[in-house]
Amino acid sequence: MSEKHKHLLEPLNQRLVFKRLLTYAKPHWRWLIVAFILLIGGTGAEILGPILVKIFIDDYLTPGIFDTQALVWLASGYIGLHLSAAVMNYTQLLLFQKIALRIIQELRIDVFEKVEKLGLSFFDQFPAGGLVSRITNDTEQVKELYVSVMAIFVQNIVFLIGVFIAMFYLNIQLALFCLFILPFLIVIMQLYRKLSSKYYAEMSEKLSQLNARLNESIQGMAIIQVFRQERRMNKEFKEINQQHHEAWYKSMKLDGLLLRPAVDVISILALVMVLSYFGIMSLNSPVEIGVLYAFVNYLDRFFEPVNQMIQRLSIFQQALISAGRVFRLMDHDELAPDKEGSASPKLSKGEIEFKNVTFSYDGKQDVLKNISFTVKEGETLALVGHTGSGKSSIINLLMRFYSVERGEILIDGHSLKSFDNKEIRENTGLVLQDPFLFVGDLSHNIRLYDERISDADVVEAARFVNADSFIEEMPRKFQSPVVERGATFSSGQRQLLSFARTMAKKPKVLILDEATASVDTETETKIQEALERMQKGRTTIAIAHRLSTIKNADQILVLHHGEIIERGTHDELLLQDGLYHKMYQLQQGAKQLEEPLI
Amino acid sequence: MYQLKVFLDLMWYFKKEKWYYLGGIAILAVVSVLSLIPPYVVGVIVDHIHNNTLNEQVLRNWMLLLCGLAVIIYILRYLWRIFIFGSAIKLARLLRNQLYEHFTRMASSFYHRKRTGDLMAHSTNDIRAIEQTAGAGVLTLVDSLTMGGFVIVTMAVTISWELTLIALLPMPLMAFATSKYGSMLHKRFGKAQAAFSSLNDKVQESMSGIRVTKAFGYEKEEVEAFKKKSDDVVEKNISVAKVDALFDPTISLIVGMSFFLSIAFGARFVVNGDISIGQLTSFTVYLGLLIWPMLAFGWLFNIVERGRASYDRVSGLLKEKQDVKDDPGALNTPPTGEISFDVVQFSYKNADQKSLDNVRFNVLPGQTIGIAGKTGSGKTTLVKALMREFDAKTIFFGVKPLQSYTLDALRSSIGYVPQDHFLFSATIADNISFARPDASYKEIMDAAKLANIHEDIISFSEGYETVVGERGVTLSGGQKQRISIARALIKDPEVLILDDSLSAVDAKTEEAILESLRRVRRGKTTFITAHRLSAIHHGDLIIVMDKGRISERGTHDELMNQNGWYKKMYEHQQLESLVKKGGRSS
Repeated sequence: MSEKHKHLLEPLNQRLVFKRLLTYAKPHWRWLIVAFILLIGGTGAEILGPILVKIFIDDYLTPGIFDTQALVWLASGYIGLHLSAAVMNYTQLLLFQKIALRIIQELRIDVFEKVEKLGLSFFDQFPAGGLVSRITNDTEQVKELYVSVMAIFVQNIVFLIGVFIAMFYLNIQLALFCLFILPFLIVIMQLYRKLSSKYYAEMSEKLSQLNARLNESIQGMAIIQVFRQERRMNKEFKEINQQHHEAWYKSMKLDGLLLRPAVDVISILALVMVLSYFGIMSLNSPVEIGVLYAFVNYLDRFFEPVNQMIQRLSIFQQALISAGRVFRLMDHDELAPDKEGSASPKLSKGEIEFKNVTFSYDGKQDVLKNISFTVKEGETLALVGHTGSGKSSIINLLMRFYSVERGEILIDGHSLKSFDNKEIRENTGLVLQDPFLFVGDLSHNIRLYDERISDADVVEAARFVNADSFIEEMPRKFQSPVVERGATFSSGQRQLLSFARTMAKKPKVLILDEATASVDTETETKIQEALERMQKGRTTIAIAHRLSTIKNADQILVLHHGEIIERGTHDELLLQDGLYHKMYQLQQGAKQLEEPLI
Repeated sequence: MYQLKVFLDLMWYFKKEKWYYLGGIAILAVVSVLSLIPPYVVGVIVDHIHNNTLNEQVLRNWMLLLCGLAVIIYILRYLWRIFIFGSAIKLARLLRNQLYEHFTRMASSFYHRKRTGDLMAHSTNDIRAIEQTAGAGVLTLVDSLTMGGFVIVTMAVTISWELTLIALLPMPLMAFATSKYGSMLHKRFGKAQAAFSSLNDKVQESMSGIRVTKAFGYEKEEVEAFKKKSDDVVEKNISVAKVDALFDPTISLIVGMSFFLSIAFGARFVVNGDISIGQLTSFTVYLGLLIWPMLAFGWLFNIVERGRASYDRVSGLLKEKQDVKDDPGALNTPPTGEISFDVVQFSYKNADQKSLDNVRFNVLPGQTIGIAGKTGSGKTTLVKALMREFDAKTIFFGVKPLQSYTLDALRSSIGYVPQDHFLFSATIADNISFARPDASYKEIMDAAKLANIHEDIISFSEGYETVVGERGVTLSGGQKQRISIARALIKDPEVLILDDSLSAVDAKTEEAILESLRRVRRGKTTFITAHRLSAIHHGDLIIVMDKGRISERGTHDELMNQNGWYKKMYEHQQLESLVKKGGRSS
């Protein structure tokens, strides 16, 4: 990983992360209000239940009055309240979850969209695994924050407020006393949050060490066994396992000390307070037993939400860290090169000129040195040289994956930089060395996302590059499924498919990065035929490995360490008896050995 | 109910930790009984108030009792957690150690069959599920039975069994609903997981195929495709939420009904004088205590269902047989002397063609053997057979077959440098001294010098303490290769095997390493397999493998006279190195 990506690994300020996460909720305010109203309604209905029972006990049961009509009202009121509470609560629970899921989806799309906009320089250096995990796993952690932390907190807090309102309605003085419970709970919460974040961090650190060791051991088992280090590795693993166990044990003890058992103590103490209050009051004046019933009942329900909230505090912190990672990536500024200037020239003929182009990826080492050449409309230029000679860099520049800083590239006389990216992409067809196939079917892999390409065009493109024969042999033809990376197709078939994909666009300029993988003779013939047909009437720049491609080229450039050391046609270069001549010999020899070509 | 079988499967462990489990269960039962006291006190106080019989003395006594109770319950609750949950996480530790030890005994064929990801999943998720069963599973089983039982008995005995029966009518519904929702949730959750992993695959594909996307200018369309996948994820998760959101309302509805029944009928009992108004109040508090056991019973099945599947997987893994093991009576002395291959044939399991076919040759101590051939011709199989990664019969070492030595003894005679230069995420010094953790720094540096990597190492800012791997510096392939050569050389082994281990170093470094090998390997046997013939042309015997057979053999000069594959390849590679230098012979 290079220096300029190091900052992506540093954590962000948690408060800012939290604020930024909340802004994602803004567009949903309408539904959030609906959910809130339902939440308040549902909570209210649930909380009114004990009050009805209180009325029954104090006004009817204790004095012994049984008015049928009033009792029917009370009973149906009680049942009605519970039913409507159930419906409202179900709806609000679902609504909150839906909103949370939508928010996460937006966050995911935002980060994915951003990543797609980044330049290839980023992808060439940042490990793909890390990217995938940020886009999916980290956002999944954030989902926990919305779904199981924020939603639960909001619901439980509203419930607690409701309980207090009911208590105040029943008896202001006692309700005030009950408020004293809150500081105790807050202290426990704070204490738990502080300690658990430390303990959990330790535990998850140990767990990741444990998993890393396990993973590494499984992959390096052959080495461990050959070097007879099984006993030592077992011992070391046991030590890590023991450390993890101890961290786990500690956090389990913490849970035991501060979670349910502690909250239960407070709940019994609250009961003592309520009973003492009524007891003392009753010594002087009569009290309503129904009120006592209601208070005891509320206290019973009060502590479950508290337990739930405390337990979720640790998820909250993990989620914030993940969100920080996502935002880091979202803020990263390494965009793909874009058009410069206001003119928008059209690519019409396809004449390409490199003028003294020098290029370096890292600003230190030049991989291309003072490269100049011209390819006229319809001509073919072959680039030849061993690995690292700079052939691929020429293509990277021409496709504008990277921007030229020294020297200039002209297409049809206009600077490459003045073109819309779209104009370049639509009119140049790049055939990659590694013919990447997407999961889907064959016609999708030829058409990709271009809806203008009809089914007939797809078939036509496949026929044009000789891919139709093997496709027609498959039972589902163009609808044949393609698995991950096209693993079920031979490398020759994959190459033909990537030809078809390029030709379906009918590009004006063709850029070929020929695959080195050897294929069977029959497929090779097909590939060569296809290549010849593809080049006809098209400006072509090819990183060539095939002798046929090289021989037919109008111009050959031989590159070595970023410089053009020989140029000319095949026959001219053979006469020079230089590097090209040696490479030619090598290739002829390789054929006899059936070794992969250079 | 058959899922509960997992408790029988785990019985060996419960027995092993019986005092903790029995103690924990006993404490749980005591806690259940003690939890019945507060509601009883509520009833007593209410009755006293109702009958105007309350005085300060009575009130104070009862309240002190409750406070004392709170402390006792707190301690007991903490204790059973330590006993039961503590034992469960000990089980996790135990199983993890067992699995790891088992892994170290498994031969390469095992690792070809299993994917690393699956083995990791068994060692993490499955063990987690088993731990849950041995902890939360036991708790919910015991708690729902004791707590539920005591509460019901108390309600029936101290208040009214008729009222108890009436109030309990809706409760089975709750156990049924939670278990039903639980299994629905499990299924839908599986689908949501699948949608998520398909989203993950999509992102993976987008990142790997970014070149195609950029070349065709389809970034926007990729985002659209991603959106569609994420829609699916949202949809599947909403279907999870639809079930998940059912839990709370259902529970409070059922509990509400139960309360309603007990108040409605309880009022009748009060009017008839069967129970007091205080008893009715206690009754409703008892009822509140029943919610948890009922819920727990529903959950129990979900915990146990997962635990059982996980336990089956883990114990299946632990039952895997060892492919390569010590013969009874095998010698524990490291072999020395002549090595002779007399392999009639060997093929890997489930493979059609022979990997080794009629391979016979002798190697005297001190000789260097070069092995050449195309990819897949059997070069690596040949050297791995010597290390007994699998058993190919018969190879003799010091006149006895390999099987007559213990694996430990045999491998202590061998130093191996693999093709895929695997290093551990540790310091360079630790990696080099892997086989001899007690090696001195000087020995480590000597080995590094022999492997021509010393200069590279001291150029790192941390020198030999530089950490390699994901968390540390990224080494080039050539550097990794040379470190793994040093790792083998520090053993100064009887037999050294270099399996295509010079492929990533340049010609000059290769020459330097070969030169130091010539020096330190005098009198000891060295096997070198190579694609590049310059690494083996000095060998005392060179073998060319083709489809598992020896197709050419002899010294370099002899092979050059044979005009076969070796000669052609050699000339080809000469030319190739010329091209690499830019066509000018130097």
